[in-house]
Amino acid sequence: MTPRLTAAILLGAFILVPALSSHALPKYAQKAPSVKPGQDASASAKDEIPFPQVPRITGEEVERIAKEKGNVVLVDTDDPEAYAAEHIKGAVNIAFDPTVEAKEQDQLLSALPGDRLIVFYCNCSHEEDSAPMVLEMWELGYDHEKVKALKGGLTRWEQLGYPLAGTDVDKNQEKGN
Amino acid sequence: MSRWAKQIQMQCNIPAIGVASSNIVHYATGYVAKYQTGMPIRYVSVPFPFTGQPRAVDVGYVSGKDMLSGQPLMSAVVAALTGPLTAEEKISGAPPEEALESRLLPPDSEENLRMLFEDREWTDFNSIILPTERRVTEMLKGTSHKPDEVIKTINITGGARQLTVEKVAISAVMAGASPAHLPVILALATQAPFGNSTSSMANMLVINGPIRNKLKFNCGTNAMGPYNRSNAVVGRAFALMSKTAGDLRNNVNAWETLGNTMQYNSMCYGENEEALPDGWDPLHVETGFKPTDNVLSVGTGWSSIASVGASQSIYPTHYLMRDYMSSFCASGSAATIVIDPTVAGLLKGVHGFKTKAQLSEWFSQNVTKMNASYWGNGVIQSTAVPFALAGLEPYASWRKLPDDALIKPFTNPKAIHVVVAGGKVQTMWFVTDFGIRRGVKIDDWA
Repeated sequence: MTPRLTAAILLGAFILVPALSSHALPKYAQKAPSVKPGQDASASAKDEIPFPQVPRITGEEVERIAKEKGNVVLVDTDDPEAYAAEHIKGAVNIAFDPTVEAKEQDQLLSALPGDRLIVFYCNCSHEEDSAPMVLEMWELGYDHEKVKALKGGLTRWEQLGYPLAGTDVDKNQEKGN
Repeated sequence: MSRWAKQIQMQCNIPAIGVASSNIVHYATGYVAKYQTGMPIRYVSVPFPFTGQPRAVDVGYVSGKDMLSGQPLMSAVVAALTGPLTAEEKISGAPPEEALESRLLPPDSEENLRMLFEDREWTDFNSIILPTERRVTEMLKGTSHKPDEVIKTINITGGARQLTVEKVAISAVMAGASPAHLPVILALATQAPFGNSTSSMANMLVINGPIRNKLKFNCGTNAMGPYNRSNAVVGRAFALMSKTAGDLRNNVNAWETLGNTMQYNSMCYGENEEALPDGWDPLHVETGFKPTDNVLSVGTGWSSIASVGASQSIYPTHYLMRDYMSSFCASGSAATIVIDPTVAGLLKGVHGFKTKAQLSEWFSQNVTKMNASYWGNGVIQSTAVPFALAGLEPYASWRKLPDDALIKPFTNPKAIHVVVAGGKVQTMWFVTDFGIRRGVKIDDWA
């Protein structure tokens, strides 16, 4: 007689658990909410800064360090199309994708130089997309004091009138001429 | 590719299709498409490989036929971009969900259950311990965390999967672990699943802290060999939880062209902290933990080169390590050198490296590589070329150098780790291209 297991076999590791509710929105369309449901942007800004453990650096300070030492690496975390349209002059692009783990970007992130100040920025209000990248850099062993998020992101940089690049910038310059 | 093409369509309102090579196009048109509704990304397909081919071959692909439809490729591109929606493509709403399975399988014979596990690839194809409810309950006694606590959410194409403490305990049972191993395996679960890349990567697991001795992890002779239960079961559990929770199935969504035999137990070993020369800190201390912390560090890489024989006085050991390291692609400056305590003693006592950091710095300054060889690597092409084009140094300058120029590709000494393991039987070492992430505290999962 074939021996039978009297105990049932646990299959928890293999079932697709209620997290499948993510199907309600296709993964490619999911985006980390910059403001929590039920909050308005100002309340969010006042009450809760995402990833508070991530140090911020102001645009003014970045500009000063870049001018004095020239050793700042700027990383745009927007998607490639938005980066192509407009980014901080000299920035490289490593897109933040909330639907995949940050470590899937490790090959790119770890190619960033370890001997310079690295500043991540996003086109979002409270560094929602840039701060997670800073955390991932820490996981990769980069010095905490050498990796920061740009406070106010691209919007603030633009307000400060600092140099930008990209196809939209070129078009605007052509119009201006 | 589907994800990026969707983004172009949705965010930029530009119609997009994918041009995929024949090797994995069915992943996009089958597995990925299965979990979508509405207009999917359409694909055309060209032969594989297209990289590394003479330009004329690639031109031939473009002027040739789409491997999916049989039409001329460019006609297929136009058709895919302009063709009306099919009835299937008009279906809207939430994508289909995979049928949920019961938490418990009905009782069956052991033989049938083993076959079931193999059919569904819930195994590494070595014999597993079947995770009965009793065994899993017993395993869960190894942690104070509740079974339904979510460790992390893993995004897979079919949706998102919550990796719970109970699910990790199941993998631990299957791997042959005891409850005492569970905190280590839970710490490991924070890093699951392992990489799933056509480039055929693997992992390295390094255990540090007093738990090495408590659980009798092998840090000495045969540290990396099949001679120790703790090394074996923890390493194996990583493969099992990665495959099950990560839903990795061969030729369905796991496409590592060669695979990597190191994935069977992810090179799990303990650092021989007791044999470190004075001044050489254990790996976890170097990355910011206290000596008394119990820490698991996970590395990711592809390759390992051994010294093969003993160290020779005519050519210093670190010179030979340097020479061998120049074979690696140096992606992210990543390297991990695993050395026997005797070699560590020589490096400190004879060659004057007072700390591991000094040795790492020396490698960063002294490993050279021919420029063409550096850029000839596919991973470098996909990571450093965009940086070079954006003007980021040193990549921008390297791109302008002649092919035979020598560059120093390990620019970040902090990414070069040194781990001491082994039994002092031979002056032996491995250089590897594994990049090690900051460790995970095992104590948090006790």
